[in-house]
Amino acid sequence: MRILIYVFLGLGMFFGLLGNLGVLRFPDIYTRLQASSKCGITSLLSILIASMLIKGITPMSGRILVITLFFLITSPVASHIIGKRAWEEGLIPWRRKKPGKKEN
Amino acid sequence: MINVFLKWKIVRVILTSLYLVVGWILFTGNLAPFSIFLGFTFSFSVALFTYNIFIEEREVARRALLPRAYLLLIYLGVLIFKIYLASFKMVLTIITGDINPRVVHFRTGLRSEVARVILANSITLTPGTLTLSLDQDHLIVHWLNAKTTHSHYAGKLIKGSFEFWLKKIWI
Repeated sequence: MRILIYVFLGLGMFFGLLGNLGVLRFPDIYTRLQASSKCGITSLLSILIASMLIKGITPMSGRILVITLFFLITSPVASHIIGKRAWEEGLIPWRRKKPGKKEN
Repeated sequence: MINVFLKWKIVRVILTSLYLVVGWILFTGNLAPFSIFLGFTFSFSVALFTYNIFIEEREVARRALLPRAYLLLIYLGVLIFKIYLASFKMVLTIITGDINPRVVHFRTGLRSEVARVILANSITLTPGTLTLSLDQDHLIVHWLNAKTTHSHYAGKLIKGSFEFWLKKIWI
């Protein structure tokens, strides 16, 4: 049990760190949003699962379960709203150049 | 013969207060009779004010109100497993930096609005896809490792098995 808790907490730290690295590395808003939303969700989810495992079967862990469900609903909606705003403003997504093509 | 609108109004109020009572019991965490009585009265009075926002009138006839709960639980488990797989793929793409982003458009066959919202959320959670816009049944998706730009084929690849299961849950 204790090993499982450590594994989940470690996963949370790992994903949080690499998500931030992805935000720094990627070229434009849409790809950065992808990195931050995906890794952020996974890191927080693992930390919540670890805290549920620590508490065992008690009313407290039921409350944490409810928080997790709300988080699973709200977090994708937040990143969707940012993406939608950028799309409606007309920001053009970054595209990879074809290897054989000359520039301009 | 009661008025049809009145009948559905009563159903909506009762369903809203039931959802609220479940929330009350989870958050107070005790089953004393006085606490439950208090929960019922307050849920009923709140439901009288808010049923119109919580359950819209045109959503009422379909099976949108009471999904099949056991299938929903299975769906949730599969979704969490897929989120973990997606994150590991994301970490690999972050390290290698090999991306080919495109924007694709496609349609969905789901009827209920709750099911559509859940489909859009699941697409945002799975590997390398981000929902940019959801208008009726038309989805615009940003895809990090695009294999194709053909609308129908891309829809099949991205939606995967989600749409099949959601159709079973909400009909």
